[in-house]
Amino acid sequence: MAKIRTLALLWLLALAPTCALAQHAGHHNMQLDTAGMVMNANHDRLPRGCDAISRDYDFDIAAGQEFAAAVPGTSFGLSMHEVRVEPCARVTVNFSNRDEVRHQWMVHGLPKYLYPTGMFHLEANAGASVSGTFIVPGDDRTYLIHCDMAQHMEKGMKGQLVVGKGSGNLWSVPGVSRSFYRDSYLPRGSWLPLSAVFLMGIIVATLWVRRGR
Amino acid sequence: MRSTRLALICIALVLLAWPPQWYPDTVRIALTQWFGAAPWRSLPGPLAANAETPEDYCPGGEAGWRDEQEIEGVTVQAVAGCVADNPWLVAAAVRGTNNVSHRVLMRSGLTADAVEKGADLDGDGDPDVIHIRLEVAELNGSSAESRDPVTSYALAPGITPGLWVFAPKLAGMATENFESNQARSALRLPSPALRVEQGDRVIITLENTHYMPHTLHLHGADHGFTTATGAGNDGVPLTSEVPVMPGMARSYELTPRHAGTMFYHCHVQPHVHVMMGLQGLFVIEENRPNNWVQTINVGAGQVRAPAVAVRESYQQEYDLHYLDLDQQLSERIQHSNDPRVITRSMHREYDITDASMDYFTLNGRSFPYTFRESLVVAAPGDRIKLRVVNGGAKGIALHTHGHKFVVVAEDGSAVPEAARSARDVVWLATSQRAELDLILENDGVHAYGPGIWPFHDHQYQGVTNDGIGPGGNISAIVYEEYMGESGWPRTQGVSWDNYFTVAYYRKQLPVWQSYAPGLFGDPGPDWILLLRLSVLMLALGGLLGTLLSWLRSGR
Ligand SMILES: [Cu+2]
Ligand SMILES: [Cu+2]
Repeated sequence: MAKIRTLALLWLLALAPTCALAQHAGHHNMQLDTAGMVMNANHDRLPRGCDAISRDYDFDIAAGQEFAAAVPGTSFGLSMHEVRVEPCARVTVNFSNRDEVRHQWMVHGLPKYLYPTGMFHLEANAGASVSGTFIVPGDDRTYLIHCDMAQHMEKGMKGQLVVGKGSGNLWSVPGVSRSFYRDSYLPRGSWLPLSAVFLMGIIVATLWVRRGR
Repeated sequence: MRSTRLALICIALVLLAWPPQWYPDTVRIALTQWFGAAPWRSLPGPLAANAETPEDYCPGGEAGWRDEQEIEGVTVQAVAGCVADNPWLVAAAVRGTNNVSHRVLMRSGLTADAVEKGADLDGDGDPDVIHIRLEVAELNGSSAESRDPVTSYALAPGITPGLWVFAPKLAGMATENFESNQARSALRLPSPALRVEQGDRVIITLENTHYMPHTLHLHGADHGFTTATGAGNDGVPLTSEVPVMPGMARSYELTPRHAGTMFYHCHVQPHVHVMMGLQGLFVIEENRPNNWVQTINVGAGQVRAPAVAVRESYQQEYDLHYLDLDQQLSERIQHSNDPRVITRSMHREYDITDASMDYFTLNGRSFPYTFRESLVVAAPGDRIKLRVVNGGAKGIALHTHGHKFVVVAEDGSAVPEAARSARDVVWLATSQRAELDLILENDGVHAYGPGIWPFHDHQYQGVTNDGIGPGGNISAIVYEEYMGESGWPRTQGVSWDNYFTVAYYRKQLPVWQSYAPGLFGDPGPDWILLLRLSVLMLALGGLLGTLLSWLRSGR
């Protein structure tokens, strides 16, 4: 009987909105709770070359399929595909997930001495919000932002973090840059008008040359 | 005059260069009567052997994963083969992700709500309220920046067809790490085998993380047409419900009254979606006291924590999921990155009535990778339970060497004792399941004694990779005395070096190169003939040029 009660209690706990899982897991510097996960948060350790925090930013960024509607050819999206900050800034991202599935907001290529594997990672469960803070380095650079669930970046969940002047746009950031490989969207039967125009060119040139003689 | 001389030279060269084997046979026979046979000239010798270094047969997985271990009260059986499932995931799938410690959960890779196990409704010491969450993942998909398949997963060396799978709910990234493009180990073909106990109140939430609509259909498992709230529960867009759209989720409910081996799959455009890999085994174990079942079996294969009823009669249990794939379908997700273009290509331009299957998988791999993770390893006297599904488009004639299976259940219903017989070919129609007893009793019927005994589809396309054999779903029953320490069987036939190269399955290597390169290797080129034909062509060209110049000058 005691066992049944324990199990029933465990069941209730699992259904409750907050569970006892929130804690630090050493090697990955990971914060996990029922809202999601924050990995490699950094509030105070300055990157090399930064004497002080230049400025504090606070961004509300939403994710979900609803943002795909405005971008033809995507399935998922972000409310903000480009984030611009000053070098040595402290950036807080309040990431809210409007979908009924998980999404992530990850920055890559950060200095590994501060961020293990060079990554700052937010993961929000369905309908949940997570917030995390990190400090960007002092040099002008553009960093990749994406959701690393299979095909989410490819199908629209890609962004860029521009520090200072940045280092050039990344490819296929919705609303910022086009795709490196792009499908052909030529209307059906385009070969007909194209051939006609080609012939026209020949005729025009021939006539022109004749008239000049 | 000059041109006449040139024409005559050209004609002479044509006659000289013309290969004698091209003369009409009558001319050749007449010549033979005067001169006899032509003198000996050797045929070209063999080409040099392939230089590609074969992959490591048995690269091994994470250290310690193969060992037998006890994790928070769950006994996880050892894996004798080369690659094993994550034992922490096995333990979390048995206890429930809500009942394990934070440490076990982190090492399992699952989210805290991936498999929730709750109340013990019948008071027999195990949880009966089970909530499973599944996501949908695309493997070997496209990207707007790269021509390589992303979230890559190889069936066999160099074979990476596009795939869709139901996936256990895993925290974090889809790839091994950011530098890697490899799908993480729990993200793979086939969709996981799911396991519950008879009478459990089961909820399966489909969280559609994919860019196309999908549903969940519980094929053969006892479920109501609607859920308690009246929502569709059969997964059929035509009759039951609107599909789960990208980014959306829906829960399906069932309380299965009968034990048996069932099936689950997507029911949206099934001739495309099910064939892309959206299908898995759904096993309902008999109700027993203290029966904690392994709710998720990643990649099917050996069940490392078998249920109580299985342990009563068997030493081991294996889930065997057969699936064939059509390259002309699966490559379509790799040709475009626009979901609209992909949708049109897969559902309108692809025509399954013209299709033929190219790849034949067992538990998500084709030979030789099947030998890394789908061997059945056992000792004399063992009894082994095999749960088999054929998820492919064509039937499977499942044949084993060295043994005869006893079919104890079909489509989740027991075969009456009196109707059972020992069989060495078991036919499985599309989506059919069978429960097979493998009895390693050396009685000349059930088993013929220790060895490395292949088992495979006896329909011949099934033992190839796109027509190249050996390939497809070949695996083996290996007796422990024939297993090496590292998990690779001590085979005594030919070298497998060729089979662990990409070139072999690209049809670039002679099939018997490894042991008879001189005899059956590809012949080298005939350079002398090429030289002769070059002279012939030059002369013919010269002749034609001369004729044309005569025509133009009006001669
Ligand atoms: Cu996402
Ligand atoms: Cu589907």
